[in-house]
Amino acid sequence: MKLLDCPVIGKRPISEFDYLGEVRVPPSQADELVWADYVFNRKGAPGVLRERWYHRPTGRWFVFDRDTLTDEIVAVVDAADVRYEEPRYEIPA
Amino acid sequence: MPWRLLKFGLKSTHDEPRFFPESKPLKPHYDVVIIGGGGHGMACAYYLAKEHGITDVAVLEQGYIGGGNTGRNTTIVRSNYLTPEGVKFYDTSVKLFEDLADDFDLNIFYSTRGHFTLAHTDSALRTMRWRAEVNKHQGIESEVVGREEIAKEVPYMDLDCNGHAPVMGALYHAPGSVARHDAVAWGYARGAYNRGVEIHQKTRVTAIRTQGDRVVGVETDRGAISCNKVISMVAGSTPRITSMLGLRTPIEIFPLQACVSEPVKPFMDTIVVSGSLHVYVSQSSRGELVMGASVDPSVLHSTRSSFDFVEGLADQMLDLFPFMSRMKVMRQWAGMSDITPDFAPIMGKTPIDGFYLDAGWGTWGFKATPVSGKTMAWTVANDKTHELIEPFRLSRFADFDLVGEKGAASVGH
Amino acid sequence: MKYRLDPQPLEWIDRSESMSFDFEGQRFSGFKGDSLTSALLAGGQKLLGRSFKYHRPRSALSLANHDVNALFQSAEATNIRGDVTPVSEGLKLRACNVNGTLANDKDTYIGLLSRFLPVGFYYKAFHKPKKFFPFWERLIREKAGLGEISTQWSAIRQPKQYGFCDLLVIGAGASGMQAALTAADAGADVVLVDENPQIGGSLDYQLVNESDAASARRQLKQRIAEHPGIRVFTGHYACGWYTDHYVPLVGPEGIIKMRAGGVIMATGVMEQPAVFRNNDLPGVMLASGAQRLIARYAVKPGQRAVVLCGNDEGYRAALDMIEAGIEVAAVVDLEWLDKRGHWAEQVKAKGIPVLEQSAIYEAKGKDALKAVVVAPFDGRSCDSGQGKTIRCDLLLMSVGWAPAAQLLYQSGSKLGYDKKLQQILPRELSPGIHACGRLNGAFTLEQRLADGERAAKEAVAQLRGKTVETELTRFRDDRAHSHDWPIIGHPKGKNFVDYDEDLQLKDLINAAKEGFDNIELMKRFSTNGMGPSQGKHANMNGIRVLAEITRKTIDETGSTTARPMFHPVPVSALAGRRFRPERLTPMQAWHTANGAKMMEAGRWLRPEFYGAPAQREQAILQEVQAVRSGLGIIDVSTLGKIEVMGPDAGRLLDVVYTMKMSTIKQGMTRYALMVDDSGVIVDDGIVGRVTDDRFYVSATTSHADAAFRTLSLKIQELGLNVRLVNRTGSLAALNLAGPASRKLLSTLTDVDLSEESFPYLGMREGTLCGYPVRLIRVGFVGELGYEIHMPATAALEIWETLIKAGKPYGIRPFGVEAQRVLRLEKGHIIVGQDTDGLTNPFEANMAWAVPLKSKPWFTGKPSLALLQARCQRRLIGFRLPKGYNGELPKECHLIIENGEMAGRITSIAYSPALGRVIGLAMVDLPLAESASALEVRVDSGAMVTLEPCPTPFYDADGARQTADLTEVA
Repeated sequence: MKLLDCPVIGKRPISEFDYLGEVRVPPSQADELVWADYVFNRKGAPGVLRERWYHRPTGRWFVFDRDTLTDEIVAVVDAADVRYEEPRYEIPA
Repeated sequence: MPWRLLKFGLKSTHDEPRFFPESKPLKPHYDVVIIGGGGHGMACAYYLAKEHGITDVAVLEQGYIGGGNTGRNTTIVRSNYLTPEGVKFYDTSVKLFEDLADDFDLNIFYSTRGHFTLAHTDSALRTMRWRAEVNKHQGIESEVVGREEIAKEVPYMDLDCNGHAPVMGALYHAPGSVARHDAVAWGYARGAYNRGVEIHQKTRVTAIRTQGDRVVGVETDRGAISCNKVISMVAGSTPRITSMLGLRTPIEIFPLQACVSEPVKPFMDTIVVSGSLHVYVSQSSRGELVMGASVDPSVLHSTRSSFDFVEGLADQMLDLFPFMSRMKVMRQWAGMSDITPDFAPIMGKTPIDGFYLDAGWGTWGFKATPVSGKTMAWTVANDKTHELIEPFRLSRFADFDLVGEKGAASVGH
Repeated sequence: MKYRLDPQPLEWIDRSESMSFDFEGQRFSGFKGDSLTSALLAGGQKLLGRSFKYHRPRSALSLANHDVNALFQSAEATNIRGDVTPVSEGLKLRACNVNGTLANDKDTYIGLLSRFLPVGFYYKAFHKPKKFFPFWERLIREKAGLGEISTQWSAIRQPKQYGFCDLLVIGAGASGMQAALTAADAGADVVLVDENPQIGGSLDYQLVNESDAASARRQLKQRIAEHPGIRVFTGHYACGWYTDHYVPLVGPEGIIKMRAGGVIMATGVMEQPAVFRNNDLPGVMLASGAQRLIARYAVKPGQRAVVLCGNDEGYRAALDMIEAGIEVAAVVDLEWLDKRGHWAEQVKAKGIPVLEQSAIYEAKGKDALKAVVVAPFDGRSCDSGQGKTIRCDLLLMSVGWAPAAQLLYQSGSKLGYDKKLQQILPRELSPGIHACGRLNGAFTLEQRLADGERAAKEAVAQLRGKTVETELTRFRDDRAHSHDWPIIGHPKGKNFVDYDEDLQLKDLINAAKEGFDNIELMKRFSTNGMGPSQGKHANMNGIRVLAEITRKTIDETGSTTARPMFHPVPVSALAGRRFRPERLTPMQAWHTANGAKMMEAGRWLRPEFYGAPAQREQAILQEVQAVRSGLGIIDVSTLGKIEVMGPDAGRLLDVVYTMKMSTIKQGMTRYALMVDDSGVIVDDGIVGRVTDDRFYVSATTSHADAAFRTLSLKIQELGLNVRLVNRTGSLAALNLAGPASRKLLSTLTDVDLSEESFPYLGMREGTLCGYPVRLIRVGFVGELGYEIHMPATAALEIWETLIKAGKPYGIRPFGVEAQRVLRLEKGHIIVGQDTDGLTNPFEANMAWAVPLKSKPWFTGKPSLALLQARCQRRLIGFRLPKGYNGELPKECHLIIENGEMAGRITSIAYSPALGRVIGLAMVDLPLAESASALEVRVDSGAMVTLEPCPTPFYDADGARQTADLTEVA
């Protein structure tokens, strides 16, 4: 079983983690196509992907850069680096 | 003994023709390039040649024929889907499968076994009824059956699951079948080759050339080809191909694992699936139990095996079949599943003129092999989406018009 | 035991303890430590099995767990490998895959038909006419498969262990033992594993008679036994290499899941057979197999031997045979004698005839080897015209080796063919992976020891974070120990490449002819390497054959993928102990003591209803009526319960839920609907405001963990100042519902329950029975009612107190089923039942919960804005006429309109309050809005008419949710 190495909790088996997938930021006032692209489309291709993982035993979310070809964690990303403001989506009256 | 075998005994030489061509150089131009020499690619080439007279076709395969998910799946064929569009599509496939051996003059070991999807909860039972009703409405043999009927067909199954989450009922789908997966690809390949299609193994596509929004050719590790149309039929490699065109899709790749036991004498005729226990099993004509579970939880472009898969599978399997504890797992492997958000494929035309997509096959690609080939060939030949695959168009996501297959649970082999 | 030899120096058997067993109805005896095969051979039973396809007689080949033509079965197990399974007293065995008895197998005729059964024959016949295929398929299935199982066998589950070490050394031969010692001396924590019952490897059977090996053996074994840094696991095989050096070790007691810092592969080599006509006859064995038989079990493999040599090792084997009292009639060398070393000289010195540049053209004998035909060999084929027959009952094949590189391949390491050694050798090792010994081309004892030491040093340095240049090739031999073409054609065939699958040389040639001319396609078409030994003795020759046919190099030809398992692993060991915990609420014992029928809800167990299964319907009805007319109590501890605290708590909840939560007044609650990015309903619950910056959130049982995860995700994504506490386990909850609830509760709590100070949807903190609790006025079941959230430790006491105090009001516990009816009467949805994987709030008739205009943002908002105008279906209420007694529709029966599917029933139940059947249905638009009647197709195929009607069905204005018993009365 694969180990994920996290700076806070050390090496833990991957079965303790839940996978969310690629880090995505919802767009503000997006038109339909841009919004649908955000909701459904993914990078998909092999390579380094910035992803969110949740460690169940500690209840923590982590952001890793992982190579989806080799399954190696390339970098542990500070969550602050991928923070965003909640977007707006106003419906014209 | 069938007379067809007599000829082999009566001759000292083995004069069987080749199934596939020997390796030869690529031509500079083809009408149609099919990327992917699996079941789907070969079927498409076959129907292009056979039904539309299009034979200036090259099938480019990075490995060997049927070496991807065609040769890695657990060979189940069924049509008991949840949505009307799914049912119609897969039913067409089942009917094509039934005649393939005749069509190819090749025994694909299409074996109708009956298919039980077990329900361990009342919500699962509700979904089973939903599927059964949708199926029956479209003339597909599906029934919700109770414990007694299951016990009659699979008497050796522990319906009480050792006291945990007992089986409450099942969806029974009589046409559920298994087939020899490789032979399906070989049959299509031979049929296509005999009709003039070129098959190039160990030929990897490295780029797709476009002019404006139009495909004009592909580059490979064996040289460049110009062509009018490109069909991507590469399942687990789809994002690699679409990213060459900057085409974004919802497809993500998750490994799907399977394993086989050592061969034993036949005891299991039916196919048994349990969504709650995440297992499915059938016995091959070689006597091996072919077993699988749900896809791995995280994206990975790899066919590595994991031990937790086979442990989990064994553990859950014993709830249903305690005696299997004395059998042995002989081999495990994995394929790369191209999963979509609504558990339905993505087929047909794309925003790029001349580029067609046959993807999003997740865990249900093998059973769609004939119908995909046929409808994609029609779509390419007519440059118009075949009506059976209209619901599976790529643009459905932008339209928020998804296919409702997700309700049928994630383990649906 | 006429074939038993005098005691051998290192034999594994314990002659003081003999054991008897039955094989094919005959009694045999062996010693403790014997394998089934060795005991049978000792007793003169040479015929051990029948081949898979042609039912040819087969016997021992390797005694190394590769002998899949000697598979046995007992009443308790099947596919028992005779070559490695220890004898035990009283076993009753018979051979697998025989029709009749082993001696008189009725299926031997199939061998005569072999010319009619070319490679892939089953693809070319049996399918026309289609209707006969099931008949043929049955026949093929009966013939295929090996042992028989019994479906009556009980489950065996073996416990598992976890293990950890710095370095795992796989294989305890010379190089592995040395590597373990070197690494442990350097301070590493080492595990040494070997599949054999004893360490020693080929030192103990191939070099057993070598005097200079004796001291090495003694020293290595003694030092390992005494070394505190080495843990030895014999009798365990590493079944596969998995990511991050996770290597399960399978032993008789179960699996040890070993996590290593690095792995030294000292897995050695597997001897490969020569391919010639009748190379499968009993009496034809691998030289190393015969050496194992003698050294380990003291069993004589034959009386008169011929040794086929493609390397030096064959001469060592010949000497060993002589040592064991076997007459060696001749050594047949594929090459020139002067290529060989000192063992060949010793053989020559003993006057044994050596036939150089010769090969075995064919073996002769019906049920066992009687003679071999030796003919001149030019490196590619034999001159059969000059064949010479030598009488013998034993033929040893010593023509080469294939690396036991399965785990090495699995680790992602790269291997390639070495022309000098004529062997596939490691080229590029993955991080943390090391290889040594014969696997790595080190063949002499000195080389092996030095290579083990080198690998260990490199491994330890790498463990300590140093970059190491590997000297992988430094101790490799410079001479071949394998012949590049130990394969002899014969017009009559029966020269087997794969013993498991009965594949002859021509089968591979013909497969290639038919276009299956790459290694993977050849495997799949011919089944070469697909049998139970997974090609351990077939793959290498298969590669050589294909390379020859296609005129490619071995590297260009490649090899098939080496997947786990190395040896088949029992399901009992893989499954382990069943570990799927259930979650129980604090009231669980009370529920079961009071007749609850429990049901599973995710990991939880919940009461479905209270009463005997036979009285199910009646019990549910009574429970419903108790709530409506007096008082009911239900355990809702399984709800997700989350404290949300901090200055940004309101902002967080506004993002996560559709409706505005930051405006909830302190002490009040609001319905909370959660959708995903695409606007699909995923959960519902309530949000209550405890203080200005503190909220209390509930979630559905099945979504409780996911809700917590989503909340914590949004905190991270938006960088909010919020803390969450998941109190799902630490708090229990119950719902006290019914007209008498206020009255009862008021006697037990200090909270002011009056309507004015604690209105509907209010939330109050106080004490109950002396415990701190949170009370929430909820309306899910549609009566005056209070959810009581309390410490799990106090829950049972509170529950029992309420039950006792509620007696006068006719209190009745109710289960999930009654709750389903009650909520249906109120028209409340159950997420996952009335919704599916694509249902949005508009479809669920909950537009009121989607404030598109007033909230600038919530998860899924843009999707819902788009979906609002594209609603394709809607959830509506329906009812059946009062007194309807026809066939009842069920959930998921379809609504049919003009012969087309137009929706489905999502919930249906008899409502005692309304005296009729009511339900919810998801119906296509515009039908859902326009129809005055809906047709549903029931089980019998009949159509039943439903009457659409508004919801709630019951108490539409909600009067009862605020009314006391006294007021109702």
